[in-house]
Amino acid sequence: MKKIDPHLRRVLKEFSRSYLLKRESVFAGIDFEKLRSELSEMKDDALRKSQEYGALFEARASRGGAKVYRASDSAAANRLVYEILEKRGAEFLVKSKSMVSEETALNEFLTQRGIIVRETDLGEWIVQLAGEPPTHMVMPAIHLTRRDVANIFSRRLGKNVPEDIPALVEIARNELRQEIFRAGAGLTGANALIAENGSIMLVTNEGNGRLVSAIPPVHIVLASIEKVLPTTKDALLLLEVLPRNATGQTITSYVSFIAPSRHKDLHIILLDNHRSEILADPAFREILRCIKCSACLNVCPVYQAVGGKKYAHIYMGGIGTLLTAWIHGLKESRDLVDFCLGCHRCEAFCATKIRIADLVIALRERIRRELGGPSWKRLAFDGVLAHPNIVQTLFSSARLSRPLLGRKEGFARKLPPPLRKYDRFRSLPSPAPESLSQQIKKKSAHEKAWKKRPKVVLFGGCLVEHFYPEVGLDAWRVLAKLGYEAVTAEAVCCGFPAANSGFRSAAAKTFRKLAAGLEDAEVVLTLCPTCTTMLTHLGPDLLGTVKAQRLARKVLPFSRFLLEKEKSKLRELLSSRPSPKPVTYHDSCHHKYVLRAAGESRQLIELALGERIREMEAADSCCGFAGSFSVSHPEVSEPLLEDKLQSIRSSGAQIVALDCPGCLMQIRGGSKRSGDKVEVKHTAQILAECLQVKS
Amino acid sequence: MVAGRLEEEFIAKAKAAGGEIERFSGIAEAFAFISCLAKQLDIKNMAVAPDVSLPSAEINSWPLLKPEKTEDYLGAEAGLVQADYGISSTGTLVHFDRNDAEKIVWTLPHLCLCLLDERRIVQDLSAVAKVLSRHLSQMTLESPQVSLVTGPSRTADIEGQLSLGVHGPSRLVILLFEGKASGSHEKD
Repeated sequence: MKKIDPHLRRVLKEFSRSYLLKRESVFAGIDFEKLRSELSEMKDDALRKSQEYGALFEARASRGGAKVYRASDSAAANRLVYEILEKRGAEFLVKSKSMVSEETALNEFLTQRGIIVRETDLGEWIVQLAGEPPTHMVMPAIHLTRRDVANIFSRRLGKNVPEDIPALVEIARNELRQEIFRAGAGLTGANALIAENGSIMLVTNEGNGRLVSAIPPVHIVLASIEKVLPTTKDALLLLEVLPRNATGQTITSYVSFIAPSRHKDLHIILLDNHRSEILADPAFREILRCIKCSACLNVCPVYQAVGGKKYAHIYMGGIGTLLTAWIHGLKESRDLVDFCLGCHRCEAFCATKIRIADLVIALRERIRRELGGPSWKRLAFDGVLAHPNIVQTLFSSARLSRPLLGRKEGFARKLPPPLRKYDRFRSLPSPAPESLSQQIKKKSAHEKAWKKRPKVVLFGGCLVEHFYPEVGLDAWRVLAKLGYEAVTAEAVCCGFPAANSGFRSAAAKTFRKLAAGLEDAEVVLTLCPTCTTMLTHLGPDLLGTVKAQRLARKVLPFSRFLLEKEKSKLRELLSSRPSPKPVTYHDSCHHKYVLRAAGESRQLIELALGERIREMEAADSCCGFAGSFSVSHPEVSEPLLEDKLQSIRSSGAQIVALDCPGCLMQIRGGSKRSGDKVEVKHTAQILAECLQVKS
Repeated sequence: MVAGRLEEEFIAKAKAAGGEIERFSGIAEAFAFISCLAKQLDIKNMAVAPDVSLPSAEINSWPLLKPEKTEDYLGAEAGLVQADYGISSTGTLVHFDRNDAEKIVWTLPHLCLCLLDERRIVQDLSAVAKVLSRHLSQMTLESPQVSLVTGPSRTADIEGQLSLGVHGPSRLVILLFEGKASGSHEKD
């Protein structure tokens, strides 16, 4: 992939920043969780009874005077539109924004048959004139500057137009209304199709939907079957959420309900296009709850870096990847599926609680099963990570090679030129001289008196075990100070890399070994949120056993355990001593969005420091590590890390605290490479320092 | 919420959405304001939605557009419409359209003047949900539709910068008047 367009990245980032502020303001005083739960339940009911409500809509709309058609796929839908235009003698079609018509490639189909098709949404019209695909679902031309638009309009009008936004908007108004009056038919989508009265709901800001549906003599509605809702009340519930989540507006400028009428030439095409297959698949059915608000895109770190031209087939982002797999086929989603970082940030904003990141993992598994996966991944997961002895041998060899690999401060030498893209933006670590397990074994041997202490198992994960044992040692020292005997679990991979890549059986095999070793533990404390996610969520789902569920209940992130069990003792031990250096906190994705432990870590750190954390902007935006993502997509990982480093610099902090060894590797490596003097520390290290137990 | 507070909230929200508010003690005063504004802005063609009842004095003195076909509305510089309800929580105007001509007058001209009886302001959409649903089922109408209009037509499609009037009005002036006590609303 080419380097990221800096202009696009800047505008998408700015758009996201302003979106988040507006969204926060319009949801003030509203219980978003409750509201989206109501909406999800309503959508689930509508999907469960999809056939019943679809038939009711069809009956009511037909009775009112509309002509209702069913299209099984894109070709059928396009043919139907063409036949309607042909029968009515319409050679010119104006459209208001319709994602479904982009899904069916309607414009190309009609243009090939001599129909003139004109988009009327300003952004859509601009990209149509430019001959480019849209960049954003709600803001299709966000990648273009006013100069670009002026050039596009100048070419269209055959004269120079000013690079002035109000003037450009006025030109569009005048041009487009001439087109709307000239058109023989208008085509719109629908945000909802209301079964009880056969009407459609259309949500717009510009008002083009109103003109396109009212002025041409024929109105064609092209909408997919999951848009059918039982009642007007349900459509109003959708309206409570859609504009707020889409653009941070309480309501859009225009919402139009259009009922069928015997005096109107209204045609409604209900498109299936494999949605019945999605409805029949209980694992993926929820993706049809999507209301196309695009909130998931507005908060997706990858989308903000690359935009919708790259991270899309037709539908964009993570949810787009899932829809693409059914609508346009698994092959079309194969490249997209690896774009998802798995940060789960989108899920916190989704209007209908779709588990996008988890479903992307499930899709990867399906793609690997049906289309095959890269052989190097199979070798890595099945042949290496699933065998602890091989992993240990590899790391032992790497340790022996430290004099060749390592430089100062635990960083490795720069990679040779063919591999420079992986460490151009960050210094990679060299393996530690001794693993965490080796070091703790030695320490525990001297502490026989601890045998009566309550025992906890400390699980650091591969990165702590082999690269950052000092994090595990500090956690061990904190626990010792609080009166615990901490032992390490057998150094086994948790299986997350395999599970995340869709290698289900290799992941299950690897996880089973780890789970067996932890069976007798009473409490398992973790230092890596990604491993914790495997132990508490993905692993038990993979094995489906009672034992795995029991293990999940015993696993706690280190910070949560301390805050829940040892808060008062920590207060006693930690005399108030403000840190000499300001500290900021980076939210690791799984820690915040899966384990929901970010608040606890902040509390713990503030308790330890005796002062407030200096918050950075976009603390919860991914640092770009995301496991193998930073290797498979270094061109995306790099700008995400740059943004994170810039946020850290702007915060004025000299220490970055975090809870994930992967983020530690990325941010510490990035700081080193860019010459920043910031220190990057795991929460356990901050606590050890404040408790003065650090060696 | 008490009536006065509903109005205040409606006014605040409608202004926040980019609307302008003018308040009158009665509809006659609102019509007088329109006459002045039309002169002041030198409006030569004012479209009036078919469901607005104009007194004969205004019919004779205003520069009214007399459309014979839909294209004629393109010449309208201003449109006069009347909302059926106001929603205070969002500053939204609710109109129960009976045909496309009404919708066109609401949308085409750069200046939209909208009459609203302040007694018709309700808290939120749920208060009109039933009547809205009922209107959409009235098959005897030429074209039963419902429009929710909140502020002028807007876009941020070029550089994310807000611009008004891309397709619909760039100015939405809400003429809020104190209505006289009478029977039920004709469209309820």
